[in-house]
Amino acid sequence: MADTYNSDGEPTTRTLLRRVLDTADTRTPRRRRSARVGVQKARLEMPLSSPTKMNVSRRSQRARSIDRLARVQTSGHLDEQTPRTLLKNILLTAPESSIMMPESVVKPVPTPQVVQSSRRKSSQGSLELQLPELEPPTTLALGLLAPGRRKQRLRLSAFQQGVDQALPLSQEPHGNANASSLTSSLNLTFATPLQPQSVQRPGLARRPPTHRAVDVGAFLQDLRDTSLVSPGDSLRTPVATVPMDTVLEDTQPFSQPLVGRSPSVYHSLPCLSHTEAEDAERAVSHRTQSSGPKLQNYNPGKQAQLLARKAKNIDALAMSFPNKSSAISGEDGVDLLQDGIDEEAEERMEENLSVSKVMDTTGTQGSIRTENSKGYREMTEAVETNEPKGSSEDEDISDRRASPELASNTTQFPQARRPQFLEPAPPSSTAVLSSEPLSTRLPPRARAPGSRPRQDPHKTGLSHYVKFFSFCAKMPMDKKAVETVEKCLDRYFQHLCDDLEAFAAHAGRKTVRPEDLELLMRRQGLVNDQVSLHVLVERHLPLEYRQLLIPCAFSGNSVFPAQ
Amino acid sequence: MAVSGALSRRTHVRRKAPRAFLRRLFRRQKPQLRLETGGDLLVHLNCLLFVHRLAEESRMNAFENKDGVIKKEHVQAAAKVILKKSRG
Repeated sequence: MADTYNSDGEPTTRTLLRRVLDTADTRTPRRRRSARVGVQKARLEMPLSSPTKMNVSRRSQRARSIDRLARVQTSGHLDEQTPRTLLKNILLTAPESSIMMPESVVKPVPTPQVVQSSRRKSSQGSLELQLPELEPPTTLALGLLAPGRRKQRLRLSAFQQGVDQALPLSQEPHGNANASSLTSSLNLTFATPLQPQSVQRPGLARRPPTHRAVDVGAFLQDLRDTSLVSPGDSLRTPVATVPMDTVLEDTQPFSQPLVGRSPSVYHSLPCLSHTEAEDAERAVSHRTQSSGPKLQNYNPGKQAQLLARKAKNIDALAMSFPNKSSAISGEDGVDLLQDGIDEEAEERMEENLSVSKVMDTTGTQGSIRTENSKGYREMTEAVETNEPKGSSEDEDISDRRASPELASNTTQFPQARRPQFLEPAPPSSTAVLSSEPLSTRLPPRARAPGSRPRQDPHKTGLSHYVKFFSFCAKMPMDKKAVETVEKCLDRYFQHLCDDLEAFAAHAGRKTVRPEDLELLMRRQGLVNDQVSLHVLVERHLPLEYRQLLIPCAFSGNSVFPAQ
Repeated sequence: MAVSGALSRRTHVRRKAPRAFLRRLFRRQKPQLRLETGGDLLVHLNCLLFVHRLAEESRMNAFENKDGVIKKEHVQAAAKVILKKSRG
């Protein structure tokens, strides 16, 4: 209501008074007083109710225009001692700029009581209304005549005091409607403390987020409940607390609500994890019962060790996994095993045992048993085949790939599933396990943490190119195809380094320069007389790199990069 | 002056090159050698082109076998050809 009225006239007290002076009939002041007063009452009440809602700029513009108009008209009425003339005099004397200042809004607030008292008076008399109406503008004018800066802070504090005083008063109905609306509107414009809101509406008060401590029991329960939902997601959870430097890319969003666990390890695995998880499940179904009780005997101490073991565990599991998958698909297994080395098999065995301890305490024994049996099988078969190839990288790569799935398996097979795993594996494996636990426990601790960071960042970096491969291929790919791509990339990098070394040595240098790279690309056939290196750089590299590589002239006779 | 052309800290490179990864690789393989600043970007370019060719070749192999999915055999056959090409 007030808005619609205000939008028409932009009424400040001043402007409304002017308007009243302009519009009201001057001939019969006595008779018309009641009418005028009535009009003034209505008009004056409105602006005071919402001075703050108006823009200062609009107010200023309108006030200025109306002021100028009014001055011309009111000059003729100065001789009369009517409220009209009084008003005009006041408006003339008060500096125009005062009304424009936003602090003018503040001024009425410290005097809400004054206004209220004036309101009460207004109910009684006609003329009396006008005089109290004059007070706010006078106070405004007086207050703003003084220099503004010093007063601003005072006004604000006074304003807040006034607000506080006005708040309880604003509850009063009707007669104080203007004052209350004024103060309430002022409340709206100025920042009110949070307290009043919450006092009025406790439900809206913001509560600080509650941080609950991680409940391991609930966490494991969640794992049990949502075991097979998403192996890719679950693999993050057990390794979450492992301190990993590398943040591996992960494309799968979280589907499980984790209890305060921050997933620090992301394994950037393509769908490898899923198929291998299936393999692991199948493998798990053929577990050894005897290995179970043996594993239960081990009880390592602390959580930190646990977590460290977990890291190694994933390593070991990763190693055993490809062997496991090979057990299911025999040919591949033979290939993988042939890649293995005896020492590595032993190391893995040790890691498996250490891991088994860890898994015990964490309650993921099934996977431990799987890895143990797998590791043992790998050892035996590696011994049998006895073909140490230099392709340890391949195995490592496959290990790394399998590690996340193993982690997922560990989560997927919590304590509730233990009975499933109590199936007899080859009894010899258990014998081996029992004989070797103590001797092999200690050494892996020294070695395993070193091996893990070596592989995972390698995988992460390679994944960048693997993703690019799948993007270029535009076709869905097998998991094994992805592994093959990684192997190819490794071999390619080896060739690349060898070639660069040869080129640098040929030039008598020990540093590989971009010229060597260009020569390499020329020999590869990528760069020829038609296609230059710069063209390739422009085509395939983003702008920032191009600026670093291709010399470009800048202003001031400078070239970057310097030639 | 020339710095205006260089990478400022705030720019986000959309297709980033794993420069640290490449440098680490190179250092692992050839610790006696050193790689220059622009060198690893060109190595990255080389890798991109290699992967691109490999993907094209694998895709062609898969098409020839009328397969909708790239299989390991396709990749292996393609790798043989492309690695031979990029021997330099």
